[in-house]
Amino acid sequence: MRLHRLSGDMGILAGAFVLLWFAPSFASDYALQISFRVMIYLTLAESWNLLTGSVGLVSLGTASFVGLGSYVAFGLANHFGAPIPVILVVCALAGAVLAALVSPALFRLRGVYFTVGTLALAALLQLLMVNLPTFGGASGIFLKHDPPPLASLYHDALSVALVASLAMAICARTRISVIIRAVRDDEDAAAQMGVRPYRVKLAAFALASALIAMAGAVQAINLGAIEPYGAFGLQWTIDALSMVIIGGIGWRLGPLAGVLFVVMLGEMLANYPEAHIAITGVILIVLIRFAPGGIVGMFARLFTRSTRLSSP
Amino acid sequence: MNAAAAPLLEVTGLVKRYGGVVAIDHVDLQLWAGTITGVIGPNGAGKSTLIGMIGGAVTPSAGHIRLGGRDISRLPASERARAGIGRTYQIPRPFLDMTVAENLEVAQYSMAPLIGAGPARSARIELLQLTGLLDVAGVPARALPLLKRKRLEVARALALKPRVLLLDEVGAGLIDSEITELITLIQAVADASVAIIIVEHVLRVVRACCARSMVLNFGKKLIEGPTAEILAHDEVASVYLGTGGARQSAPAAPKDEAAPPPRDPGSLSQLIAPRSSAASRPPLLELQGICAGYGQARVLKGIDLQVHEGEAIAILGANGAGKTTLARTITGAINPTAGTLRIAGNDAAGRPAHDIAGLGIAHCMEGRRIFPTLSVRDNLLVAARRVDRATAQQRLAAVYELFPILAERAAQGGTSLSGGQQQMLAIGRALMARPRLVIFDEVSLGLAPIIMDRLYEALATLKAAGMTLVIIEQDVDRALALADKVYVLEHGIFGLAGDPRDIADDPRLRHIYIGTAD
Amino acid sequence: MPDFGTVASAILSGLLLGGMMGLIALGLSIVLGVMRLVNLAHGVFLVMGAYAGLYFLKLTGFDPLLALPLLALGIAALALPLYRYLLAPLAQRGPEAQLMTMFAVAIILQNLFVFVFSADTRSIERSYATLPLSLGAITVPLIYVIGFAIAVALILAIHGLIAHTGFGRDLRASAADPAAAATLGVNVQRVQMLTFALGTACAGVGGVLIGVAFQFSPSSGGAYLLNSLAIVVLGGLGNVPGTLAGGMILGLLQSLGGLTLGDGYRDIVGMALFLLVLVFRPEGFLAARRA
Repeated sequence: MRLHRLSGDMGILAGAFVLLWFAPSFASDYALQISFRVMIYLTLAESWNLLTGSVGLVSLGTASFVGLGSYVAFGLANHFGAPIPVILVVCALAGAVLAALVSPALFRLRGVYFTVGTLALAALLQLLMVNLPTFGGASGIFLKHDPPPLASLYHDALSVALVASLAMAICARTRISVIIRAVRDDEDAAAQMGVRPYRVKLAAFALASALIAMAGAVQAINLGAIEPYGAFGLQWTIDALSMVIIGGIGWRLGPLAGVLFVVMLGEMLANYPEAHIAITGVILIVLIRFAPGGIVGMFARLFTRSTRLSSP
Repeated sequence: MNAAAAPLLEVTGLVKRYGGVVAIDHVDLQLWAGTITGVIGPNGAGKSTLIGMIGGAVTPSAGHIRLGGRDISRLPASERARAGIGRTYQIPRPFLDMTVAENLEVAQYSMAPLIGAGPARSARIELLQLTGLLDVAGVPARALPLLKRKRLEVARALALKPRVLLLDEVGAGLIDSEITELITLIQAVADASVAIIIVEHVLRVVRACCARSMVLNFGKKLIEGPTAEILAHDEVASVYLGTGGARQSAPAAPKDEAAPPPRDPGSLSQLIAPRSSAASRPPLLELQGICAGYGQARVLKGIDLQVHEGEAIAILGANGAGKTTLARTITGAINPTAGTLRIAGNDAAGRPAHDIAGLGIAHCMEGRRIFPTLSVRDNLLVAARRVDRATAQQRLAAVYELFPILAERAAQGGTSLSGGQQQMLAIGRALMARPRLVIFDEVSLGLAPIIMDRLYEALATLKAAGMTLVIIEQDVDRALALADKVYVLEHGIFGLAGDPRDIADDPRLRHIYIGTAD
Repeated sequence: MPDFGTVASAILSGLLLGGMMGLIALGLSIVLGVMRLVNLAHGVFLVMGAYAGLYFLKLTGFDPLLALPLLALGIAALALPLYRYLLAPLAQRGPEAQLMTMFAVAIILQNLFVFVFSADTRSIERSYATLPLSLGAITVPLIYVIGFAIAVALILAIHGLIAHTGFGRDLRASAADPAAAATLGVNVQRVQMLTFALGTACAGVGGVLIGVAFQFSPSSGGAYLLNSLAIVVLGGLGNVPGTLAGGMILGLLQSLGGLTLGDGYRDIVGMALFLLVLVFRPEGFLAARRA
C-alpha cells in the first residue's frame, strides 16, 4: 500500500519532469525565467517543509546554504572550470558537511534555539564573506566564463527540483516517514522506541541543506555575479518560510502551492519590493493566526475529511 | 526462576535526587528472564522514577544498571531501547496523529530499518492480535479510548522485541472488566526469554501476574518476596491505606480530640477569611453536573458537590480517578465542558484561574509547585494579592508561626528545602491569600509519617479555627480523621459519599483502593 | 602595533558600548524568560526607537536624551496592542507561532521604515555626540560615557523592579511556573503584556542611545538582535547583573576583534561567540539565577 503510494508519486513526478523538460522549446524567455525561479523556489520550499513541517525544526538559516552553494559553485567554476553536474554534487556535499559541522551547536537545545542559531549562522557567514578578501569581499565575484544559456540552466534547476521532490516523496511515503513523524510528535517517546532523535534530525538537516545548496548554485550561475548581501540575504529565508506557511506547512502539496502564490505575488509587485515583503509579512501573520494549514489546509478542510488510513 | 544463573537485569545502589528531595534511595533489584516482578507502593513512593531510570528517561544520581552484564546506566533512552528495554508510559504517549499500525512501525523500523515489508507486517498483525488492537490498526491513535491506548503502549513496547519489559501503571484509570482483560494480556505476553516489571497501583494486577513483588516506600525498598506474602503483610496494608499502623474500623479519635487547640486564634485569623454574615447564604462552593477533561479524554463525568463554610470535605479515590482534575477544574486551570460551578453564588465556570483565586479559592497544588527561582519569603508573598505591606507582613508572621522552619529558611531558594518543608511552604503559600476555602491536593504525597503528622496537625488547627477545607488525599485514614464528609471518586463520578465513619467501614472503599481479593 | 592609548581607549569604548548593549539585551532576556519568546522584532524595535528620537528632535527641537522617559513610554505603548492582538491569541499554540509572528512583524516594520524614512543611513545629530573625553592617553567619545551611565542606571532600576517589588515577584513567578502563578492569583497575561512592553521599551531607549552615538538605517536591527542574543546566552537568562556583564564582555571582545582583525570583524565576534557558547555552555540559556 505504502509502496503503491510512493510509485504513484514517482509516476506523477516523472510525468511532470518529462513535460517540463520540453518547456524551453515552446515557452517564451519570460516564461522560462519564471519557470526557472519556480524550480529554485520549489527546492527551497520542499527543503524547508521537510525541516519544519516534517521534523519540526523551524529554520531561519535557508540563506546560509543558498550562499554556501553560490560561493562553492563560483569557486569550482572559476578555478577548476568544473562542469555543472560536478558543481551540483560538490555543493550538495558542502551543504551537508556545513549542516553536520554546526549541528552540535544548533541541536544542543530544543525548540526555538535551533531557530535562533540558524539565524545567527546566516548572519555570521554573510559578515565573513563581506570581510574576507579571498572571496571578493563586499563587492563579490563574477563568473569568469559566460554562463550556460537559460534553457540549459532551466534543465539544471528542473533536475534539482526533481531530486528535491523525489527525496521528499521518499521521506513522506516510505517507512522513513513514520520515524520522522515520531521524532516530531514526541522525541522522548520515540527514543524509548529505539529511534535516535539526534541522528534523524541531523539527517534531515543535512539533506535539506544539500538541496538548498544545489539550488543556490544554479541560481548563482544564472546571475553570473554574486555578493554576500544577496547570496546570504535574509530574503532567501523569508521566501522559503513564507512559501511553505502560505502553501500549507507539513502538507505534501504545500510547497508547490506556496511557490506558485509567492511567485505570482512577486511578479505583481515586482516594482515595489518593500511593499512585496511587507504584504508577505501581513499574509504570514494572518495565516499563522487563522489558517495554520495554509492554502492546501484550507482546501483540504473545505473539500475532504482527512482520512489517513493505512493497512497494518 | 533460576537463581544460579546471572540475572538479566541487575540494579545496584540506585539513587535519584531532585534538589532537596530523594526520590529513590539506594534501591537494588535483580530480574531473571521468564519472571514477572511487581513493584508496588503508595503515590510518590518513587515507582515511576525507578522505571524512568531503568528505561533511560531519567538519569540516576548514583548507582548502576546492568543488562546482561553490560552497564547501561549512562546510555540514552534510545540506546537502552536498542539494548532490549521496552517501557510503557503511565499516561500513554502514543504518536497521536499516526495510526495504531504506524505506531508499531516506529519501533519495528528503528530497530530493523531493512526488515522486509512482509515479515514486518505479519509481526505487526501478530502483535495487534495479541493486544486486541487488530480491528483498530488503521485508526489514528488520537481516536483511541484509554484502555486501547494502554494496550497500544504495551504493543509498541513489545514491537521492540525487548528482553526487559517495564509496565508502568497500565491498570490505572481502568474499570474492573478492563483490568481483567489487561491481566489476560500480560499473562499472554509473558515469555521465558523476557523479564517483566509491573509497577502498579491496582493490586489485583500484581496479585494475578507477579510471582514476586517488592514494596517501595519513600524511595526505599521496604520489603521484597513472594507476592502473596507481601500483600498479606500488615506493614504493606498500612503503607497503602494510611499510616496509623494496623487499620482500625473507625477514625482514630473523636474529632475535637484529634485537633490540637489553636495556639493563637488571633494570628490564624490573618490567614482565614471572615465568614459572611448573611443569614441565608449560598454554599461557598457548588458544583452541578461538572464534566471536564483533556482534549478528547473525558475525566470528570458529572460531579455534584456542595461545600458550606466551615466544612472539611475529603475527596478520595485511586490513581487516575480524576481527583486532581476536579481540583484543577474548580480553580480554573481547566474549563469544565458542562455543568455549573458557583463560588459563593457567583457563576465561576470558564473564568481564568487568577479570577477564581480572587474569589477566595486557594489551591495547594499537587507536587507543591514551589517557584525554584524565588526565595521562601517571595514564594509566600506572591500569593498575598492586593494587600498593603503591613497586612502582608502580618500574614507572613502568621504562616511563620504555623511553620517556624519557614521563618528560618525565609531567604533561601524555594527548592533548596526538603520535601516536607516544601510542602509546608506550599500550604503556607495557599494561606497567604487569606482564602475562604483551600483545596489541599495530596499534601502527604511521598512524605515520611512524622512529617505527615505535622502537616495534618496544621490542617486540624486550621479547621478548628474555622477554615473551609477540601482535602484530596490518597492517605485514607488521615483524610477520614479530619473530614466532616467524604466523597470517593471512581472513574470520574462520586461512587461513594457520606459520613467518614460509615465510609471507613464500607468494604467498597477497600475495593476501590486495592481491588477485591478475587 | 597600536600604542597604549589606542588600545586602552578601544577597550574602554568597548566596555562603555557594551553597557548600552546590555540594556538592549536585557529587554530581550526578560521577554524570553517570561514569555518563552525570542522576540525576533527586538532589533526592529530598536531602530524604531532611533527614528522616534530623530523625529522627536526634528519636530520639537528638544534633546531626545532628555525626553527618554517620554519616548520609552511611547514605544512601550506601541507594544501593548502588538501583545494584545498578535501574541496573546497565539499563547496556547506553542512557541513557534509567536516566534514566526514576530518575525513577520520585523520584516513588515523594517520595510515600512524603508518606505517612510528611505533606506538612507541616518543619525541623531547632537553637538556633544562628537566631543571626545580624555583622561591622559585614553580618549573616548563623551556620548559613550553618557549612554553607558543611562544604560547602567536603567539596568539597575529594572533589577530593583524585578528583585524588590511586587510586580517583580509576579514576573519571576510567571517566568518559573505560569500555571502555578495563575492559580495563586497572578494575572499572568497582564504580567506578560507589561513585560513585553518593558522589553520593547529597553530596545527603544537603546535605539535612541545608538541613534545619537552611531548611525542607523532600517536594516540595522538584525545585528543588534543577534548581539543581544549572544549577550543573553553569555549572561544567563533571567540574570540581570549577568546581562550587564555579558554586554560589557561582548563589547570588549568586539573592540579587541575590531582592533586586531579590522573593523568589519566587530559583529562577527558577537555571532561567533553566540554559536560557541551554544556548543560549550548551552545551559547559559537556561541558568535561571535569582535576579
